Amino acid sequence: MAHSKRDIMQGTLDLMVLKTLETIGSLHGYGIAQRLQQVSDDALYVNQGTLYPALLRLEQRGWIASAWGTSENNRRARFYSLTRAGRKQLALEEADWQRTASIMARLLGRGEEPAQ
Amino acid sequence: MNLRELASRIAGALGRGRSDREIAADLAAHRDELEAFHLRRGLTAEEARRAVRFELGGEVQALEAVRDQRSLPFVDALRQDLRYGLRMLRRAPGFTAAAVLTLAIGIGANTAIFSVVDAVLLRPLPYADPDRLVSLGERTRAGDPERVGYATFIDWEARSRSFESLAVMRSFQPTLVVNGEAERLAGVRVTWSYFEMLGVRPALGRTFTQEEDRPDAWHEVVLSDGLWRRRFGGDPTIVGRTVVMNDLPYRVVGVMPASFPPLISAKYYTAAEIWAPLGYAVGVGDSCRDCRHLRAFGRLRPGVSAAAAAAEMTSVHEQLRAQYPTQYEPGSVAVVPLGDAITAGARPQLLLLLGAVACVLVIACANVANLLLARSELRRRELALRVVLGAGRRRIAAQLLTETALLSAIGGACGLLLAAIAMRGVSAVAPQTLPRLGEVGIDLRVALFACVVVIVAAALVALAPIRQASRDDLRGQLAVDSRTTAAGAGRVRALLVVADLAIALTLLAGAAVMLRSVTSLARVNPGFDPNRILSMRIILGGRTYAEDPAVRAYQTQAIEHLRALPGVAAVALADQIPFGGDFDCRGFHVQGRMKPNAVDDPCIQRYGTTPAYLSVMSIPLKRGRFFTAEDGETSQPVAVVSESTARLVWGTADPIGSVVRIGSAVRGPWCTIVGVVGDVRHEDLAAPPIPAVYMPESQSTDSFLVALVKSSSDAAALAPSAIAAVRQLDPSVPVYGAASVAALVNGAIGERLFVMRLLAGFAAVGLLLAAVGLYGLVAYGVSQRTREVGLRLALGATSREVLRLLLSKGVTLLAAGLAAGVAGAVLTTRLLGSLVFGVSPLDPLAFGGAALTLVAVAVAAHVIPAIRALRIDPALALRHD
Repeated sequence: MAHSKRDIMQGTLDLMVLKTLETIGSLHGYGIAQRLQQVSDDALYVNQGTLYPALLRLEQRGWIASAWGTSENNRRARFYSLTRAGRKQLALEEADWQRTASIMARLLGRGEEPAQ
Repeated sequence: MNLRELASRIAGALGRGRSDREIAADLAAHRDELEAFHLRRGLTAEEARRAVRFELGGEVQALEAVRDQRSLPFVDALRQDLRYGLRMLRRAPGFTAAAVLTLAIGIGANTAIFSVVDAVLLRPLPYADPDRLVSLGERTRAGDPERVGYATFIDWEARSRSFESLAVMRSFQPTLVVNGEAERLAGVRVTWSYFEMLGVRPALGRTFTQEEDRPDAWHEVVLSDGLWRRRFGGDPTIVGRTVVMNDLPYRVVGVMPASFPPLISAKYYTAAEIWAPLGYAVGVGDSCRDCRHLRAFGRLRPGVSAAAAAAEMTSVHEQLRAQYPTQYEPGSVAVVPLGDAITAGARPQLLLLLGAVACVLVIACANVANLLLARSELRRRELALRVVLGAGRRRIAAQLLTETALLSAIGGACGLLLAAIAMRGVSAVAPQTLPRLGEVGIDLRVALFACVVVIVAAALVALAPIRQASRDDLRGQLAVDSRTTAAGAGRVRALLVVADLAIALTLLAGAAVMLRSVTSLARVNPGFDPNRILSMRIILGGRTYAEDPAVRAYQTQAIEHLRALPGVAAVALADQIPFGGDFDCRGFHVQGRMKPNAVDDPCIQRYGTTPAYLSVMSIPLKRGRFFTAEDGETSQPVAVVSESTARLVWGTADPIGSVVRIGSAVRGPWCTIVGVVGDVRHEDLAAPPIPAVYMPESQSTDSFLVALVKSSSDAAALAPSAIAAVRQLDPSVPVYGAASVAALVNGAIGERLFVMRLLAGFAAVGLLLAAVGLYGLVAYGVSQRTREVGLRLALGATSREVLRLLLSKGVTLLAAGLAAGVAGAVLTTRLLGSLVFGVSPLDPLAFGGAALTLVAVAVAAHVIPAIRALRIDPALALRHD
C-alpha cells in the first residue's frame, strides 16, 4: 500500500490530477482524492500535505482554476477545473509519460504495452 | 517553477495569495466529507476521525505545506525573523535605545562629515573633463605659486605644447546702478577662450569672441544666472541689451546656466557673477612681465600629466629668465590639478575630521558589539532552548543576523535624520573659506555611503554574538546556571571597552590641543585694537571720480558726514585694512639702498590712509610723526613705515629722512619717511607681522576705500546710520561689506575654531559612548556577581572589600585605556600640523586635561554600579536568580 508522499513523484501526481479533472470536469479536493483512490483500487491514498500544495502549484502555473462551490452533500468546498493551458499541458505530459513508460517497459523486458 | 508560478509566489510572499483561512476551509471541507463518508460506512466517530487522520495526514502540516507553496519559503523565514527580532527589540527597550542611539550617532556624524568631504574634496568639478584642468603659477623662491604677468602668459601660450588651451583672469568689480541703487558686483575679466577651456556653454546667447578681447574694446559681459534673475528679473531678451557700469556701456552677450558654479574667480571662494573679456595686449597697460596679478589656468592635452606639463613650463620659464633676467626669479612653474588647487587649503582639516569621525564610528560599533555580547549572554538559555527544540545553527545565526541588521537599519535611519540636522550645523560653523560649501547636501552618494557604513557596522557588530552563539555548546547551557559568564566573551568585552576609552582619549587630546591653540591665538595682539570699529567699503568709480580732486572732495565730505553721526568718536579712510582680505604688496625702493636688480627689493604691504587712521586703529607711534592735515597734494610726499620694515631695510639705522619710491623703481614721486609705527598682523594671527608702509590718501588717492568708524559704544549698531550717511552723500557710490573689525579679526581664527568645535563635539560624543560602554560592563559585572557579593557580605566582608572586588576590573580597564589613549594621542596630535599654534602638539596641559576628563567620566560611570553593589542585601542576594 503506497500512500506516503515519498511514493508519488511530483510530476506523476500533477499528471494524475490533470487527467482526473479532464475526465470528470470540475471537482473538489475530496473528490480528487477519492477518485485517485478508486482508480488505484485503494492502492493510493493522497496525503493532504501532498495534494493541496500540488493543487496550488497547478493553479499558480495557470493549468487549473478554482472557485468556491457546493458539494453533492451540500458542503462548501473549492472546486478545481482544467484551464485551456492545462489541457495543452496535459496532452504534453501524457505523451511524455507514454514515451517514458514504453521505454521503461522495454528496458524491464516485459515486452508488452503498458496498460493505461 | 515557471514564470507565472514565480510571479504568484512573489505576490504570495507579499501577502496577496490565498488567505490562510481559505486554505484551512478547503482542507476542513475535505476532512468533513471524508469523515462523513466513513461514518456512513458504519465507523464510530472515533474510528472515523482516526481514519481521516491516517489517510490525510496532519492538518497543520498540510496547511504549512500549502503556505510554503503559496510564497517563497525563505522570504517567509525572513519575515518571521524580522517579526521575532522586532519583538525582541521591543522587549528590551533599554538595550534597543542604547544601541540605536549609539549607531545613529556614529552613522549620522560620519554621513554629515562625509557629505562635507564629498562636496569639497571628492566630487569632480562641474566642468567638462575636469581632470585635465590645471592651475598654473610661477613658483617664487618661497615655493608658493604666484600670479603671472600678461606678457609671460602670451609667451607661455606660444612656447608650450602641453596645453590644449590656456587662460588668465583678473578681478573685475564694476558698480551696477539700477533704479538709483548702486551695487558692487563680484566678477572677473577673462581671456576670451576661458569658457571654452572649461567646457561650459551659456544658457542664453554666447560667450566672448577673440575680437572682443582687446584693450580698446572689451565692453561685452556675460551674466551669471543669479545676477540675471536678481537684477534683471530673468528677462529673456537681456542678450543684446546694454547695461551701464562705472559710467561705461556694456553689452550683455550671454547668460550662464544656473548649473555653472563660479568656483574660479579672483579669489576662489568669492562667487563671480559677471564676466568681461580681459582686454589686454602686450605693451599696453598692465601687461608687463612683472605685473604679476593674473591667475592662470590651462586644459592639458589628453594624455599629458600635470607633472610633465610642469617640467615643460619650467624649461619655458628658464628660457624667459635667460631672455629677461631682471624680470624673473630663478624658480619653476607650478602646474596643479584645478580641483587640488581649489581645495588645497581645506584638505588637511577635512581629512583630519574624517579620521576623527571615523574614530567615533569605531567607538559606536565597539559599543553596540558590547551591548549585543552582553545580551547574547543573557539570551544563552533562550538560544539553547531553541536548539534543543530543533532549530538549526544556521537558522539561529540568520535570526541573530536579522536582529542585528534590523538594529543597524533603525540606527541608520535615525543617523540619516541626525546627519541632515548636523550638516546644517556644520555648514553654519564652517569657515567661509571652505570652497564649494554651497554644494553640501545629503545626496544619493552620501546616502549610499551611509548604507555602506551601516552594513559594515552591522557585519562587525553581528560577528561577535554569532560566533559566540555557534561556538558555545548551547545544549550544555541549558543545564548550566544562567549567571555564569563565558570567560572568553568577558575578555572580548573588556578589550572593546579599553579600545573605546583609548579612542575617546585620543579625540579628547586632539580637541584639547586645538582648544589651547585657539586660546593662544585669541591672545595674540594683532598690533591694533579692533574693538568698537565699524568698517565698510566704498568704491569711487566712473567718470565722476576719474580725477583726484573729486575723490579728495568726496573723502573729506564722507569723513565729515560720518563724524557728525551721534556715537561716533573718530573716522578714518584707508585703501585696505588688516584682516579685510586685502593684499597690496608693492616694491619698496630706498634711495641709496636699492639692489642692482629692482626685482630683489623687498615687497612691502602698502596702506593708503587718512591722518586719523593711526588713532582709530590705536596703532602706537614709535618715532617721528604720522600724517596730518598739512600733508596735501602740493606738499612734500611723505610715508610712514612699520617697525619691521625699518628693521628689514635699515637695520639699526634710523629710517626717518630717507626717501623711497613705492611701486615702481623708475617712476613716481620720492617720498620722505617721517615716522615709524608699531607692527600689525595683516591676515594671519599665527604668522609674524609683515612689513608695512603707510601713505597719505591726500597724496595718492584710491578708488577702493574702507571707511573706519570708531564708535563710542557698539560698532555693529552704528552700521545702518553710517551706511545711510554715506549713501546720502552720493547714491551712485556703492557701500557694502559693513562689518566690525573685531569680527574680521575673529574670522581669521575661524578655520581653527571650526576644527576645534568639531573635534570637541566628536570627543564629547566619543567620551559619552565610551562611558556608556564602561558603565555597561561594570554594571553587568556587578549584576552577574550579586550572589557572590551576597555570600561575601553574609560571611562578613566589609563594603570596602566588596567595592574593591567589584570595581578593580573597571580600574584596570581605565588604566589600560589611559595608556593606550595617551599612546594614540602622541601619535595623532601631530596630524593637526599647522593648525596647532602656540603650544606643542604634545602639550602636557592638554594631555593632562584630556586624561583627567576621561578619569572623571570613568569614575562617574562607576558610581551607580558601586552604589548598587553596596545596597545588596545578603539575604536576598543568596536567593537571587
